Amino acid sequence: MDTFDFIETPEHVELEQPLAGIGSRFLAGFVDTLIIVGILLVIFLVSTLSLTPDPFSEANDWMIAFMIVFMFLVFWGYHVYFEYRMNGQTPGKKAVKIRVVKEGGMPMTFSDVVVRNLLRLVDGLPLYPIAGVAMFVTKKCQRLGDLAAGTVVVSEQVSDFSARTDKRVRAEWQAEAGGAALRATGLTPEEYRVLNNYWMRRGQLTLEARWTLLPQLLEPILRRTGQTLANSRLETLEAYVELLMRQAWFAEQETRTGTGRQSKL
Amino acid sequence: MTPARFLETRGAAWDRLEALVRKARRGVSALTEHELHELTRLYPAVAVDVARARMTRIDPQTQHRINRLAIAAHGLLYRRQRRRVWPAVIRFFGRDYPRLFRRLWAYMALATAVFLVGGLGAYATARLRPSTAYLFIPGEVDLVDEEPGLSPEDASERFRRIPKPPMASHIITNNIKVAFLVFASGITAGIGTCYVLFINAMMLGGFAAHFDNSRLGYELWSFLTPHGALEIFAILVAAAAGLRLGLSLAVPGRVTRNTSLKIGAREAVQLVLGTIPMFVVAGTIEGFITPSYLPGSAKIALGLAVLGVTLAYLLLVGHGREKAASSKAGT
Repeated sequence: MDTFDFIETPEHVELEQPLAGIGSRFLAGFVDTLIIVGILLVIFLVSTLSLTPDPFSEANDWMIAFMIVFMFLVFWGYHVYFEYRMNGQTPGKKAVKIRVVKEGGMPMTFSDVVVRNLLRLVDGLPLYPIAGVAMFVTKKCQRLGDLAAGTVVVSEQVSDFSARTDKRVRAEWQAEAGGAALRATGLTPEEYRVLNNYWMRRGQLTLEARWTLLPQLLEPILRRTGQTLANSRLETLEAYVELLMRQAWFAEQETRTGTGRQSKL
Repeated sequence: MTPARFLETRGAAWDRLEALVRKARRGVSALTEHELHELTRLYPAVAVDVARARMTRIDPQTQHRINRLAIAAHGLLYRRQRRRVWPAVIRFFGRDYPRLFRRLWAYMALATAVFLVGGLGAYATARLRPSTAYLFIPGEVDLVDEEPGLSPEDASERFRRIPKPPMASHIITNNIKVAFLVFASGITAGIGTCYVLFINAMMLGGFAAHFDNSRLGYELWSFLTPHGALEIFAILVAAAAGLRLGLSLAVPGRVTRNTSLKIGAREAVQLVLGTIPMFVVAGTIEGFITPSYLPGSAKIALGLAVLGVTLAYLLLVGHGREKAASSKAGT
């Protein structure tokens, strides 16, 4: 079972949309069921309490007729109405911050909403055993209704990082990881930035460009550490850069995992 | 570009987009025109940042944050145009539904065939051997009157005294429920739909045979036809929808099973939604006209007329544009 659905945006960037798990989906379903039962109860009580005591009253007949129709509409229309009007959410889904979308992230059409909710009949007999099995065996945690409608339920829970702590942690991370990288390689920030840039983009440069550029970049560094450039081949120089970058990377990784643990406490 | 530099140059844009997304949480209409422009300008840049963040060795929290941010903005910008309800309903019933019905005629024929085999089979069996009629009729229907003295006239008089409006609305809602069930059970490769259809056809065949055996056939049909003609037809349409759903899964043809199911489900659900008005009409007739004192022949005529109008609608409406569309496709 995957935990992500991928949204391919029109900008051709793949966004990772976390999928809602079985637990949150059942919780949302439970909340919705409670709300439906509540509404049905209110309709029932209001209409029965407003019946007149006259046994031959035609008004009573009509009242009961409308009660039956309203209860039917609420029971069958609740999910369809809300999922269509609230862009894939029902009050229960909103409460647990999940949403139904088409595979690929677009909102559902009306037919999609109806398909996935009519198939509740099969999925949900009784207490959603078929839905549960289907959600276990499908890659994107889909019940039969989702498969037929081509929909997934995604999670919109925002991580508990508020923007401010996020910023603070980021600053710490930058300082510590950056510092560690510099300490490990013995480079100045400017040298590190330039070499890292070169390393990331070397695939886009021609061999000639690399051969003219790299000695210029490395020369002051090597001179400072008392080494010499003489007769070095491009492979040797790049291997040296790679070594530096790897050192920086490992130093950053260590600091980052360390910082991550601390910040959670 | 180093992670630090990346954060430094792009951080402000993320913060701004985050503020806009938060403000637009209740809908993009909460934004001013200027903010809206800002949103459309910021979002593509942040989407690109997501891709760049994966290249740069940037901390996972930030990666996660801009990914979420891009998704939220994507959700705000790319949404389906909200269609007005009534024009869509009018276009559906005025053109699309009859066309869909005609395109899926084969499924309708298949459903009708299953129904006729079950119904006629049970009828023939119970006519030839009257004692077998009870096999086709569910146990809870007691064919022997509880009160032996009760004449058919008295029985129908009792029936007439049931309040009409609740009767009609109960029948309508119940039938729509059955139609949904017949449709949804099609997901079992159509087997569920055939089962429900076959059982009910046998029941009806058994009833018809039992009443014919007792020479009460005319009474039965004058009771069933006014609403039943359309009702049974609508159930057959719902069954055709169930078969469309089931066969798209069982026999996908040249596309993957998954794709086939999605296409099939889309057509099938439209087919079943169109039966709702039929059930409303049939249920209203069943509640108000079936128990009336009209002569039996008039009731039967009414039932057949209603079915005829429905068929005419399904077969004749929406042709003009269909031709226009197909000729356009042909050129």
